[in-house]
Amino acid sequence: MLNKKRIKLLLVALSAIALSLIFFGCGGQQSEKKDDTVTPLTSKPVAEQVTLQIFAANSLEKALPEVQKLYMAEHKNVIFSDTQFKASGDLVEQLGAGASADLLITASKGSMDTAAKNGSIDEATRLDMFGNDLIVVRAKGSDVRFGSLQDVTSGSIAKIAIGDAATVPAGQYANQALNSIGLYSGETGKEGQYADTLKGKIVLADKVGTAANYVATGDCQIGFVYTSDLYRYEGIETAYTVPSDAHKAIVYPGAVVKGSTEAEVALDFLDFCRTNPEAQKIWSQFGFEVL
Amino acid sequence: MSKLITKARIATRSSVVFLTLALILVSVTPVLAQDGISVSADGSSAKAVDAPFAISDFTRFNTGTSKTYQGIDYGYRFPMVDADSFAVVVTADTAVVFVPPAVAESSWFRPSLQSETRLIDGGEMTALISMLSALDAAVSNGGVELSAAKRQFILTDETGYQLNGSQIERAVEVEPGHYYITVRQVDITRDKVVDAQTESGIQLDNQTQSQVEPPSGIDVQFVLSGHLKAASEVAIVPAASGFGAFQDFLHGIDYRPFWVSLRTSAVAMVFVFVLGLLAAHLSLKINSRLKGVLDSLFTIPMVLPPTVCGFLLLVLFGNSTAIGRWLIDHGISLVFSWPAAVLAAIVVSFPLMYRTARGAFEALDPALLDAARTLGWKESRIFARLMLPLAWPSIAAGTVLAFARAMGEFGATLFVAGNYAGVTQTMPIAIYFQWMGGHSDIATFWVFVVIVISFVVILFINWYASHTQRFRQGGADLADESPLLPGVKGTPVSVAAGKPEKTKAGNDTAGKTKAGRRR
Repeated sequence: MLNKKRIKLLLVALSAIALSLIFFGCGGQQSEKKDDTVTPLTSKPVAEQVTLQIFAANSLEKALPEVQKLYMAEHKNVIFSDTQFKASGDLVEQLGAGASADLLITASKGSMDTAAKNGSIDEATRLDMFGNDLIVVRAKGSDVRFGSLQDVTSGSIAKIAIGDAATVPAGQYANQALNSIGLYSGETGKEGQYADTLKGKIVLADKVGTAANYVATGDCQIGFVYTSDLYRYEGIETAYTVPSDAHKAIVYPGAVVKGSTEAEVALDFLDFCRTNPEAQKIWSQFGFEVL
Repeated sequence: MSKLITKARIATRSSVVFLTLALILVSVTPVLAQDGISVSADGSSAKAVDAPFAISDFTRFNTGTSKTYQGIDYGYRFPMVDADSFAVVVTADTAVVFVPPAVAESSWFRPSLQSETRLIDGGEMTALISMLSALDAAVSNGGVELSAAKRQFILTDETGYQLNGSQIERAVEVEPGHYYITVRQVDITRDKVVDAQTESGIQLDNQTQSQVEPPSGIDVQFVLSGHLKAASEVAIVPAASGFGAFQDFLHGIDYRPFWVSLRTSAVAMVFVFVLGLLAAHLSLKINSRLKGVLDSLFTIPMVLPPTVCGFLLLVLFGNSTAIGRWLIDHGISLVFSWPAAVLAAIVVSFPLMYRTARGAFEALDPALLDAARTLGWKESRIFARLMLPLAWPSIAAGTVLAFARAMGEFGATLFVAGNYAGVTQTMPIAIYFQWMGGHSDIATFWVFVVIVISFVVILFINWYASHTQRFRQGGADLADESPLLPGVKGTPVSVAAGKPEKTKAGNDTAGKTKAGRRR
C-alpha cells in the first residue's frame, strides 16, 4: 500500500502548498503595499484608506511614480495601486473593456476624445496637464547625422522606430511630421501609408518607450520619441528636435474615470500634479512642461 | 574681454562685492580632464581635489513652465533647489552661473572670485565648471550635456542678468517658500542694440543698422541648481562596485513576480490536476465520435496561440460583450485581476495534463480493469485505486509539465489579467516589461531565474521517472502479495513495460528514460 500512501501524501502536500500560497500570497501582497506607502497607520487614524488606480501614458512611467510618492507623503491615507503605463490607445481600450481605474492621463487630445466618446471619463474633470516635444533620438555616441526631417530617407539610416499610430500618440505626432514633408499620406498621422522610400525602414513599436528602447539597443538607428523619454532611458541622445509646427501640439489631458469610487481624491491628485511646487520640480527634471 | 576682466578686478579691489562681476571666463569646454573630480553615486554631490568648495543637492531641470501663479505671469520659469541654491542657466552658447550672495562672500568661495588669474589659468573656477560638468554628465542621461558645446561661462552674484534681450532673474519667490529662475524677454530700444554692436567692434553702415533687429531673447536649454558648500561639509558616497554593487542590485529587485508566478501556477495546478484527470477519465468512457470532438476541444488550447485564448477569455469575461457584461452584472468580474491570471494559466496548461493522463489511462491493460470489475469494484474505486496508481508516473510528470507551462504563460495572461505589479505580473511578464522599460539588467535576472526553474523541472521529471521505475516494481511486488488480485500476478508490470513509449505523447523524456533503464 506504499504507492497509495505516497499518492495521497503527494496530493495532500500539493493542495496544502496551493492553499498556503493563496493565503501567504495575499498576505504578502498586502505587506508589499504597505511598503509602498510611506504611511505609518498611526498618524491619521480617522482618514479612510483610499487606493487610487491610475492609467497613464507610457511616457510618464518614471516621473509619475515620483509625484505619487510625494502625494502619499502629504496624504497619509492615500496609496496607489500599480499604475498602468501603456500606449494611450491601449489604456483607452482597456478602460472600454472593463478595467477599473480612477484616473486617466493620455498623451494626446485624440485618445482622450476617444475615451470621452466611449463614455469612460467624466468630461467635466478633463483638463490639459502637460506639454512635451517630439525629437529624433539616436543611440548615445552614434555617428548618425540628422539635420532635418528629410534625413529619414538617408541611406545611412536602415531602421526607424516609430510608435504604432493605432495606439501610440507619439507615433501619430511622428507621422504628422512625416506628412508635412510628404512621406506619410494621412494628415491625422493615423490612417495613412508611409511613402515607398520609407516603407522597408519603419519599425512599429507598441508604445513610445519601446521605440526608445529599440534605438538604445541599436536595433534601429533613429526613433521618434518625446524629449521626456531621454530622461527615462539610458543610451539615447537627441539627434534632432522636430519643429513644433510640424505636428499637432503635444498635450497630455487628464480626467477622472467615470464611475470612479474615489473621484474626489482623484481630482485632488490631478490638481496636485499641476500646482504643487515640489511636483513641479519633478516634472522639470523629467522634461514635462506643466501647462 | 580684457576690459571686462579689468572691470571685475577693479570691482573686487574696491570691495564692492555685491555689485561684482560679470566675470567672464571663456572656458574651453569640454572641460580639461575630469581628473580629481569625485561624484557621489546618486549624482547629487561632487568634490574636486584641492578645491575649497564642493557641490551638493545637485539637480538638473530640463524644462520649465510658463504657467501663471494666481494670475501673475512670471515668464518662463525653472525651479531652483531653494532660495540659497546656485543656478546655472544654460543656453546654446552661454552658461550664466548665479551664485547666492552668501556663498559669494564666504571665505571658501570668495577667493576664487577675486583672483581672476587663477580663474582663467585653471584654479577653482575651472574646478567649479569641472564639477558641474561631471555632475551634469552623471544626470543628463542623453540630454544635451553642459560640456557638449563650447560655452561662455558668466559668473554673477547678482539676482538678475540680461542676456541677448532676455532678463534672467534668480530666486523669484512664486509660491510662498518656492523659488524659481525666471526668463522673460525685455524690450530693448534700438539704440542700445546699436551701442552693443559698435561696442563689440562691428562696423555697420546706416543701412544695415536700420535692419538690425533687437535680439530675439534666449532659448534656455536647461537649468542646473544645487548648493555650494565648503568642501569639508560635503561627503561623497561613491557608487558601490563589484560584489557590493551586485548586492545592491539584488536588494533593489522587486521579487513579487516570483511569488505571483508561483502562486498563480500552484493554484491553477490544483484545478488542472482535478479537471485534467476527470476529463481524461471522461474521454475514455464516451463513444468514439463524440470522443473525437471532445478531445479536440480539450486539446485545442495547446495548439492555439495564447493570444487567441486570451482574446476569447476577454470576450467571455470582459465588459465589451453582452456575455461579459451579464457575468459582471452577476458578480463575476474577472478581467485584469489575479483570478484572471489563474484562469489563463488553467486554460493553457490544462491540455498538457489532460493529454498525459489520457495517454496513461489508455495504456492500461483493459483486461486488468475488467478483472477488477468482475470482482465487483465500483468505477470510482477502480479509478482511485487501480488506474491512478498505475498511471501515476505519467500523471506526475504531466502535472510538472503543466506547472511549468503555467509558470511560462505570457500571452493569455497579459491579455486578460494585464500587468499589475504584485498582482498579475508574473515572471514572463516582468521580463517583457522590464526590458521594454529599459531595465535590461532586471530582465536578465528574471531570465536567469526562469531558466533555472525550467532546468530543475526537467531534472525532476527525469529523476522521478527513473525513481518510479523502481517504485513500480515495488508496487508489482505488493500486487503479488495482494489478496485482491490473485489472478493477475505480474500483469501490471507487463502493462507498464509494454506500452509507455508510444502512449506518453506529452512526456518523451520520462518514457525514454524508462525505456533506457529497461533495456
